[in-house]
Amino acid sequence: MEIAAPELNILFVVLLLSVVLIIFLLFQHRKNKEIQEYIDDLAEKKKILSALWKIQQIIVESLEFREVVQRVANAVLLELGQYGYVIIVLSLVDEAKRVLKRISISETEQAKEALKFTPIPFSEIEIPLDADDNYCVKALREKKVVVTNRLSDLLAPVISEHLADRAQEAAGIKTSIVFPISSKEDSKVIGVLIFSINKGEQEITLYEKEIMRGFADAVGITVQNAQLYTSLEETKEKLEVANEKLKELDVLKDEFVSVASHELRTPMTAIKSYLWMALAGKGGDLSDKLQKYLDRAYISTDRLIKLVNDMLNVSRIESGRIEFSRQGADMHYMAEDVAEEVRSRADELGLLISAQMVKELPMAFCDYNKTKEVLMNLVGNSLKFTPKGGKITISFAVRDGMVETSVADTGKGIAPNDIDKLFKKFGLIEQGHFTTTTPSGSGSGLGLYISKNLVELQGGKISVKSEEGRGSTFTFSLPIATDKQIHEFGIYDPQKAIREEIGPGGAGIIPTAHLWEHPTKRVTIDN
Amino acid sequence: MAQKILIIEDDQFLRELYEELMTSEGYVVETAADGEEGSKKALAGGYDLLVVDIMLPKKDGLDILRDLKAKGSKKPNGKIVLLTNLGQDAVVKEGFSLGAAGYLIKSALTPDQVLHEFRTFLAKE
Repeated sequence: MEIAAPELNILFVVLLLSVVLIIFLLFQHRKNKEIQEYIDDLAEKKKILSALWKIQQIIVESLEFREVVQRVANAVLLELGQYGYVIIVLSLVDEAKRVLKRISISETEQAKEALKFTPIPFSEIEIPLDADDNYCVKALREKKVVVTNRLSDLLAPVISEHLADRAQEAAGIKTSIVFPISSKEDSKVIGVLIFSINKGEQEITLYEKEIMRGFADAVGITVQNAQLYTSLEETKEKLEVANEKLKELDVLKDEFVSVASHELRTPMTAIKSYLWMALAGKGGDLSDKLQKYLDRAYISTDRLIKLVNDMLNVSRIESGRIEFSRQGADMHYMAEDVAEEVRSRADELGLLISAQMVKELPMAFCDYNKTKEVLMNLVGNSLKFTPKGGKITISFAVRDGMVETSVADTGKGIAPNDIDKLFKKFGLIEQGHFTTTTPSGSGSGLGLYISKNLVELQGGKISVKSEEGRGSTFTFSLPIATDKQIHEFGIYDPQKAIREEIGPGGAGIIPTAHLWEHPTKRVTIDN
Repeated sequence: MAQKILIIEDDQFLRELYEELMTSEGYVVETAADGEEGSKKALAGGYDLLVVDIMLPKKDGLDILRDLKAKGSKKPNGKIVLLTNLGQDAVVKEGFSLGAAGYLIKSALTPDQVLHEFRTFLAKE
């Protein structure tokens, strides 16, 4: 038979095409295989990633330490179990005991079953940190991954070689890999994560090793966070306990203060009253000596009372228990009020006290009685430190929306280094407040401290200008009362206040600046 | 006729001091050392001035005022003055609402000032 040339061509072409097609298909097949491999690979990666994600979730969801690490170990095993991972153990360093302690363990069911027949109490194993032969310790020390095909390497010296071998066989473990876990912060190695697998070392892929490392890192973070959280919780608890104690102490302190307020004052009042009666001649005539003795007792009692009152006031100020009943107050009136009260004392001391009025002085918004205490304190100090023939002047000014009241004296003045100490608690000037024997008695060292607080708590400021040998001027400022405030709170009315107001010191301030007049310097009771 | 005063104060020394002060001025003074005795006497009444310490054993000063408000005294009484040692501001406020006409801070007054205050309360009306 004859084959025609054109048919031959076609045949050839078809053959060629078939060959090309076959090659193409082969090529495709290989490509598909590669693609499939990639796909499988990705699927695996996805699984691992999702496992890592689950671990992240655990970290985020719960911070209770033991719970977290157990769940992590379980999650890891779940993901890796299919690869032949049989047991995963997390051991952490116990610094106090110097051992590696098993914290959590995750086993497949088979492993669990198998290990039942070998009496190794896995959870009780504590590896001493100086056991150089132990591979876990080695991993810790060298901060390197360690691999072994003998379970006994991980359990020495706690479990005998023989027993470890039996357990290894029962569970089908071929290889164990130990990963050191370090704290991210200071790269201190805090424990190990052990993977025990039923594959030989060669069968474990680099990829799997990377995944295990990934888990070890994740576990490291988890453990660190959990430990931090636990220590935070403990610290929080300790703080709460300490806080409760402080609150108790505060209550006790307040109770003490209020008991002291009452209990101390009763005998103090009795002592002072009877001394007063004796000195006033109610018990008959007094010899000079007796007069002197009683006088000194009286003055000392005065100082004692003032000191106690001052300390109680300070305690109240510091506890924040002072309340202010603020109203519009006429500072001129207050100055005259104070001047009158001290006039007889001033006369005794040969001092002139006066108040300089200012036209149209606005009202100050303040608690009248407490502010009066401040003024009395300043005037009292001037009386103490101004020699005979001197002058004490109360004056006023308006500045920056504040009403300023100044007490100027021609007294001894204050040394520049002492000025800083003035307004502090017991920040005394050296020239002995405590040695004074002036009739008005005490410098408790607290007067200016209390005054400063009373002024500042009402929104004002207090300051001093002084020149040694020339005199001092103390100035305190208080906000000007706005029309709204006057409308809402009214103006201090001495007539209304005397009987209805709560205490000459308002809520809590004991009037220490008040001076009991000395009984022998005063005309005795009428008739 | 001399005016009659009831002093209810648990501290013996202070109580006797006030008694002495008023007696020497010609007033008739009765005393009570605790709240129960004080309440009984106050309810019996007939005093031109009641001086009542707030802190008392058995029954406190405010309770005496409550008794008086609730039951009323057999014979009418004059003004009520509370005695306090400070630190009892809220209590004093309540005292006013229970009928007290005023209060005195024991530790702040000299004996003659105490006398003066008592007389001021007696003099009103």
